[in-house]
Amino acid sequence: MPTLLTLLLLLTLVGCREPAPPTPTPAPDAPRLRLAVDPDPAAVGDAALLITLTTFDGQPIDGAQITVRGDMNHAGMQPVLSGGAESENGVYRVPFRWTMGGDWIVTITAVLPDGRQIVKTVDLAVRS
Amino acid sequence: MIDVLRLPLIGRILKHRRGRLALQVPFLLIALLLIYDGFTGTPLAAQNLATIVPWVHFRGFAILVLLLAGNLFCMGCPFTLPRTLAKRLSLSGRRFPRLLRGKWLSIGALLLLFFLYEWLDLWASPALTAWVIVAYFAASFVLEAAFSESAFCKYVCPLGAFNFVYSTAAPTRIGVHDADVCKSCVGRECLNGSYSPQPIILIDQIGVDGAPTKAHIHNKTGVPGCGTLLFAPQIQSNLDCTLCLDCVRACPHDNVGLFTRAPGAELTQPDAWHKRYDLSFLIIGLAFMGLLNAFGMIPPVYALMSDLIDALGLRALGWSGLALEGIALLTIFAGGGVVLPALLTFSAASAARALTRTTHRDSLRAALTAFAPAFVPIGAGFWLAHYSFHLWIGFFTIVPAFQAFLLDHRIGILGQPNWLLGGEPNLTLVGLLQTLALLGGFIGSLSVASRIALRLYRRGSFLGLLPWALLLLALMLVGLWVFGQPMEMRGALFD
Repeated sequence: MPTLLTLLLLLTLVGCREPAPPTPTPAPDAPRLRLAVDPDPAAVGDAALLITLTTFDGQPIDGAQITVRGDMNHAGMQPVLSGGAESENGVYRVPFRWTMGGDWIVTITAVLPDGRQIVKTVDLAVRS
Repeated sequence: MIDVLRLPLIGRILKHRRGRLALQVPFLLIALLLIYDGFTGTPLAAQNLATIVPWVHFRGFAILVLLLAGNLFCMGCPFTLPRTLAKRLSLSGRRFPRLLRGKWLSIGALLLLFFLYEWLDLWASPALTAWVIVAYFAASFVLEAAFSESAFCKYVCPLGAFNFVYSTAAPTRIGVHDADVCKSCVGRECLNGSYSPQPIILIDQIGVDGAPTKAHIHNKTGVPGCGTLLFAPQIQSNLDCTLCLDCVRACPHDNVGLFTRAPGAELTQPDAWHKRYDLSFLIIGLAFMGLLNAFGMIPPVYALMSDLIDALGLRALGWSGLALEGIALLTIFAGGGVVLPALLTFSAASAARALTRTTHRDSLRAALTAFAPAFVPIGAGFWLAHYSFHLWIGFFTIVPAFQAFLLDHRIGILGQPNWLLGGEPNLTLVGLLQTLALLGGFIGSLSVASRIALRLYRRGSFLGLLPWALLLLALMLVGLWVFGQPMEMRGALFD
């Protein structure tokens, strides 16, 4: 009986889980976001993420709100959160700290001055 | 010795007919939750319960609980719940094939699990982890439906094999209050099962022609006997004991208990273990796999894999990175988990026989299997150092992941997740604890080995101990080197 109840509960949950938003297909005129790391290649310790925001035709975008989240691909590691950097010529220098060597998944969210939002995920290997 | 089952409250709970179920149901709910989140939740391992709970919390708590209390995880194992259903459906009642009734399958399953863990990066994939859990339920169900005894637990389950081995160091063990009661016991219900949940004896009535006129058959109200076929008065070891306590409930004389003892007492007890190669290499292999598993998480492994691929000339074949990584890992696992342990322990046993001039008295098997228990403490030290590292640094990560899971289902009672909960771990302290675990394991192993050597070789005990002590020392030094390296969690290298 407990098993049956559990299965019913789980079925209910499956129905309840909010569906993941569909991955938008970038429009041809969508802004571009590029990531570079300093130092490169990335190594454990203090670092900076150089995030470049441009329009589709290469014009720099300043004044965006940047937030960055770095997760290791292993479970059980605290993420690294950062963001809020000022820009110069569309380049945002975000202070960051690689807390462990290995594979990282960096998720960058940029809210543009016109309210549009760009989310980009980048996989990175960090040396220990 | 204290019988834990005669303690107030805890004894009543454990001995209760539904006592095990009370532990299994929460574990079953957790397992189902992990399957669900693994298949439907975020693919980010660091945010998914399916990867956090098994690879961070379960493993860490399992080794701690095994060493501090006993095999509570086999006791609460949720995989045995569908097994019970399978047992009821089972019609064949055949025993597991004689040839497979040993620990070789368990050793193979452990190697396979550790290999898949590294090769497919199970730690990084909630969906694959969920499949592993599903595979566990399926394997347990199928084997239980096909065979009469608990074949999955006794002969196959890699987690069970791990638990069996390190529960030998636990401070508790099943035993009997009065061995004389067992000598006169007719039904041997601890092994055969009881007809009733109550401790009463029901005897079949036999007619004049010898055929039963009234037989008591097992039914839903009865208690099964030991699934792994252990006879309570003969139990000397925790090996193969799932701590299900069925023997305790089935005994009509209330003669079976769960007794406290000195931790690891059975490791130095003569004849506590069968002198079998399969059993010995399960224990020895697990110690080596403890090192291998940790070695798979540090930078030198990637250099070794790359060198192996070059040495074997595999790059020229144009195979995928995953295939190359698989072959490199398989070579490392076969070398470090099979060939090296066999080579080193056979060498140590041969050297000990030669040094003590017991070549004619002791067979190589007797000389090797006698020292297998000495690999339990050092193996436990490796696993404790590795798993406690993940548990320590990731202890609080389950909280925001669960909050996020609830929010995904529009349940906000626990609020917004704080992904930085707990702050940064003190890695210096973690390193110190790891070193203590390694040294503690080594000292424990040396102590066990010296007592075994004294028992076997008496005046020549120093010479008999020497090869084993050197092997244990080498293992400990390798362990200190491995755990002294920075950890580096990486996926496939050669894509």
